[in-house]
Amino acid sequence: MNPTLTRLRRTGGLAALLAGVGVVVALKATGAAPATHPVALPNAAPPPSHTAAPASSSAAGAPAGGAAPTTSAAPSQKTVDGDVSQTPYGPVQVELVMTGSRIVDVRALQLPSDASRSRRLAQIAAPTLRSEVLSVQSAQIDTVSGATYTSQGYAESVQYALDHA
Amino acid sequence: MARHHAVARPSAARSGHWVVRAALLACGIAVCAIWWSNTNAATLRTPGDAATAVGRVAGLVGAYLVLVQLMLLARLPWLERAVGLDRLAGWHRGLGTNVVILLCVHVLLVVIGVGLTDQDTPWSAVWEVLTTYPDIWLAVSGMALFLAVAITSGRALRARLSYEVWYWVHVLAYVGIALTFFHQISAGADFVVDPTARALWITMYCVVAACVLCWRVALPARRWMRHALTVERVVRETPDTVSIWLRGHALRELDAEPGQFFLWRFVTVGHLWTAHPYSLSAPATDRRMRITVKAAGDHSRMLAHLRRGVPVFAEGPFGHFTASARTRRAVLLIAGGSGIGPVRALAERLLAGGGDVELLYRASSWQDVALRTELDRMPGLRVRYLVGRRAELGFDPLDRRGLHKIAPDIAHRDVFVCGPAGMTTAVQGALRELGVPRTQIHTEEFSLR
Repeated sequence: MNPTLTRLRRTGGLAALLAGVGVVVALKATGAAPATHPVALPNAAPPPSHTAAPASSSAAGAPAGGAAPTTSAAPSQKTVDGDVSQTPYGPVQVELVMTGSRIVDVRALQLPSDASRSRRLAQIAAPTLRSEVLSVQSAQIDTVSGATYTSQGYAESVQYALDHA
Repeated sequence: MARHHAVARPSAARSGHWVVRAALLACGIAVCAIWWSNTNAATLRTPGDAATAVGRVAGLVGAYLVLVQLMLLARLPWLERAVGLDRLAGWHRGLGTNVVILLCVHVLLVVIGVGLTDQDTPWSAVWEVLTTYPDIWLAVSGMALFLAVAITSGRALRARLSYEVWYWVHVLAYVGIALTFFHQISAGADFVVDPTARALWITMYCVVAACVLCWRVALPARRWMRHALTVERVVRETPDTVSIWLRGHALRELDAEPGQFFLWRFVTVGHLWTAHPYSLSAPATDRRMRITVKAAGDHSRMLAHLRRGVPVFAEGPFGHFTASARTRRAVLLIAGGSGIGPVRALAERLLAGGGDVELLYRASSWQDVALRTELDRMPGLRVRYLVGRRAELGFDPLDRRGLHKIAPDIAHRDVFVCGPAGMTTAVQGALRELGVPRTQIHTEEFSLR
């Protein structure tokens, strides 16, 4: 085969490979435009339904139902601690502030701090994770890139708190 | 590389390779799907996140392709049948550089992503990655090995290094794969958060490891026990060419066709650790096989000193440069250098099938003509020796004009060409100019590197 043609095919193969990787990410990212809205919508949607009829939240499941009796008369705020979730970078623990079965705030009690990067990442990740929990009202949150273990520990701690609310 | 035997595949393309290409692409897409399903598009907003994301996908695809590289040369029989070892080796070579570049992109973008997210200087970003990511030092060592493999296989160095050095650096790739595996599982976000993805990923590694162990270790070992192949004698054919006769049991079971090659490994000092491709130079019998090797590298020079009784591991047979590629009654065989081995074996088989068989044997001097006695004695074979360097002759006997003079009816013949890469390419060009259809030209290159 013609050597220039071979070289051209080889370069073409590499270009296609790199472009392919870029396109996959670009496709996902452009999908973000329509996707962010559905994500944002439930963010706004649940609060009215819950505030309007907090008693109906007993249907939301056992943990919420279990918490309901204590606050059945007038849904007051309470705080529930999650357990300490160990990550390779240090412990993660959160505290949920709940009104009935609704999560109104998430406070980080402990975040990884064993290295300067962990500290900085945690500072960047924590607000994102908090707003995600508030928006989906569960522990089913996406990982923050670069803070995989922190995200996972955060979600575990939130789940524990929800289970024990 | 003319160091090792060129062996051939019929130009009539086998279509199985498209199935394999499609399957490999599908698996690649599945690997991207792992990342896709674990990623929320909303987390790709900042440049730092985007860089990290591209870096991660590059890492996933790169790791997948490294395993593909192993599978391509794992000597899987069905893969060999569908694609052909020559083409698989070509894919492996072509993919190699790209995979390493992809892995470099992975490293660069992950570091850049960290730098952008943390608003770090590049050096402190490198430091952050090295000090905080789990199993990162293993990954860095593995990456260094991959780079070593890529550099020693690059065109600039490949020709200067001996086969043995190249081979040994290549073996380090296995170590590199093992070293980089750990950071994929412990730092790869998809595998940390998604147990299904982690299970699939580990399974993929296990399957590849099983294939390599089965077809590159267990099967050759079993076959060695069954056939007990050993060196019977070494015959000097020309000052730099030797024939090696091998003796064993039940060799018919190997189904070796004349024109095919094996990867040979001689169990003796200096030979054990490298396998070399050489074609059979005579049809195999139930008890004997023969290869004819022209000294070109360190290994082939040392073959002359092999002793009787040395055990031999043989992987194969491989290649499609066989009589089954024949489409016409009239056949022209063109051999050059060590290409005479497979061509000599093929001639005998083709003659047994009847028809008109002519052999052109190109050599730079009479001293370099090997196997002459048996070629001259082969009943029905017309042999024409084209001897002399081009500079001495003043012309190329294998160019368009030369071939036309020798065989005016060449367009109606099958032409089997086997020889040094330069000769094979030139002859192919001349044959096309003379109007020989591609389906009648049978040639290929095979070298492991």
